[in-house]
Amino acid sequence: MCEGCGCHEHESIYMPEPLTVVQTHPMTERDRFFEFKLNGKDLGHKPGQFAEISIPGIGEAPISVSSSPTKKGSFEMVIRKVGKVTAAFHDLKPGDTLGVRGPFGTHFPMDEFKGKDLLFFGAGIGLVPLRSAINYALDNRSDYGKIFLLCGFTDISQRLFIDEMESWKKNPSLEFLETIDRGSPQWKGNTGVITTLIPKIKDRLSPRNTKAFIVGPPVMYKFVILELRNMGFRDADVIVSLERRMKCGVGKCGHCQIDGVYVCQEGPVFTLDGIAHLVEAL
Amino acid sequence: MELLQISKKELLEFVGTLVSGPLDVFGVVAHDGRFAYDKLDSAANLRLDFDETLYSPKQYLFPPKDPVLSYTPGDAASCAPVYAEKDQAIIGVHPGDMAAIAMLDKAFTENKIDAHYCTRREKTTLVGIYPTKPGKYRFTSSMIKPEEPYLAADAFLIDMGDDSYTIEIVTDRGKEFFSASAAKPATADGKAKAEKMKTAVKDTVTLKIKREDLPPFLDGKERHPVWETRGAKCFSCGSCVTVCPTCYCFDMLDELDLSFDYGLRFRTWDACVLEPFAVCAGGHNFRTKAADRIRHRLYRKQKYLLEKLGLAGCVGCGRCKTACVPDIAFPPDIDDDLLRKEAHHV
Repeated sequence: MCEGCGCHEHESIYMPEPLTVVQTHPMTERDRFFEFKLNGKDLGHKPGQFAEISIPGIGEAPISVSSSPTKKGSFEMVIRKVGKVTAAFHDLKPGDTLGVRGPFGTHFPMDEFKGKDLLFFGAGIGLVPLRSAINYALDNRSDYGKIFLLCGFTDISQRLFIDEMESWKKNPSLEFLETIDRGSPQWKGNTGVITTLIPKIKDRLSPRNTKAFIVGPPVMYKFVILELRNMGFRDADVIVSLERRMKCGVGKCGHCQIDGVYVCQEGPVFTLDGIAHLVEAL
Repeated sequence: MELLQISKKELLEFVGTLVSGPLDVFGVVAHDGRFAYDKLDSAANLRLDFDETLYSPKQYLFPPKDPVLSYTPGDAASCAPVYAEKDQAIIGVHPGDMAAIAMLDKAFTENKIDAHYCTRREKTTLVGIYPTKPGKYRFTSSMIKPEEPYLAADAFLIDMGDDSYTIEIVTDRGKEFFSASAAKPATADGKAKAEKMKTAVKDTVTLKIKREDLPPFLDGKERHPVWETRGAKCFSCGSCVTVCPTCYCFDMLDELDLSFDYGLRFRTWDACVLEPFAVCAGGHNFRTKAADRIRHRLYRKQKYLLEKLGLAGCVGCGRCKTACVPDIAFPPDIDDDLLRKEAHHV
């Protein structure tokens, strides 16, 4: 190997590009919204992809892109403060720079879903990557049939994109429902886990003509999948995005593997029938 | 393939000239009665008659802590890639370890090319040696095909048992490397004998399952009780991974110089058997139990990498059996357990 093959002349796969913070604001006590821009170009992502964001000297972390690629000139992320690196992201101010590699991974194949009804389940921080597909569908509204969007959060303090959820609620071109697991006196809406919203829309669903998207905490998937299967959804029509530790993003480091599958390469977006045989998937 | 012959004395003289030159020369030396790879400061220390080394030579191609980027702290625009600069040679690599390097070559070049690995690899001359002694737990013939070491090697030495070596020249780099030595073309008799000597030392252990049958053999055994039994004894210490010539999982780590004027991003060895390996943001661990982690390790060794790269993630060196304190890591033992339990169920 390597005698004259030139493979050492490739650019480093770990080399980030500079990225600038356009604006940022807190969404919850631990989640912060960011708008970023690259120097004179778009990130070039598709709905559901992620990128590796870094601060030289602090470290790097995989973060989902939350904005739709239909939004040009900048892209958006929501970063949860969970450790040293993400805490440093939370200290960034508009105009600050950081590094980005990517986009990486598979995407929600929205073009293949033209003509279908769409049913989105976004729970907790799962709404962040799902929002890229939701807004893509809304920006290409005539390409799709009915759109149902079900969101769930653990409590009122964990709600994300509050203004945007309000606009989805008022938008006549989709049916939006939200619930929180634990109610509170200020909360007048639905309470209960996300699956409690399904009976409210069930009579308007066409399982054989609908693509269902599920993104949320690990515990949620099996419950939603069970309900979908009971309604007659085929596994090929159920799309999930799975969280794993995608350290390198380029299929080398091994951290994100589910069985033999590298989530950073073959995921994070999978159809349910594509992962049903993997013992570590759900 | 061009075959040369060289006396042991001439080979050592040649290594002596290399050691005193600009090249970093690595080889096996004896340390306290055990063998280990080390940087050679004298040809006299080189041992080619070792049974097995504690660690594999992967550390010279995939160092435990390898800088990949340099930067000014906080300034993303200042990031610059860091590449290996020194030429090096490793003399005395057993066929199994050589096949492991062929696997690493494939892992770091398939799909996305890792120029950091490739740059160091391109600066490395690899000289193999066929074993002259059986390894205590070696089962290399069960895990690699005879041609696979040649995917990585520049040359191979064969101990002829008469104070001489035959040198198989595999690549132009290997030819160039030995051109400054006293090696001469091998005789017809020498060639025939060399072929026999390559297989003179037999493996100590034989896997009961053929390599190509391992992936289907492991299918459906993910929830077999053997993982819980062995997992209960696992310290999750990572020794099996550290000594393994094929394991290449890694983490990334940023470190600043004390001046705070510059910093480096390192690629550091990691191990799928360590408890935090699969922890995600928010603390969710997708492989909480040692049983799941040792299953994942064995599946990588005998199934996943074989299916992904066409080369096995285990080359049968037996180092993990030596390194594992509770002795639960040795693939042939695990396969035996899986076979026994299978028979028992029938």
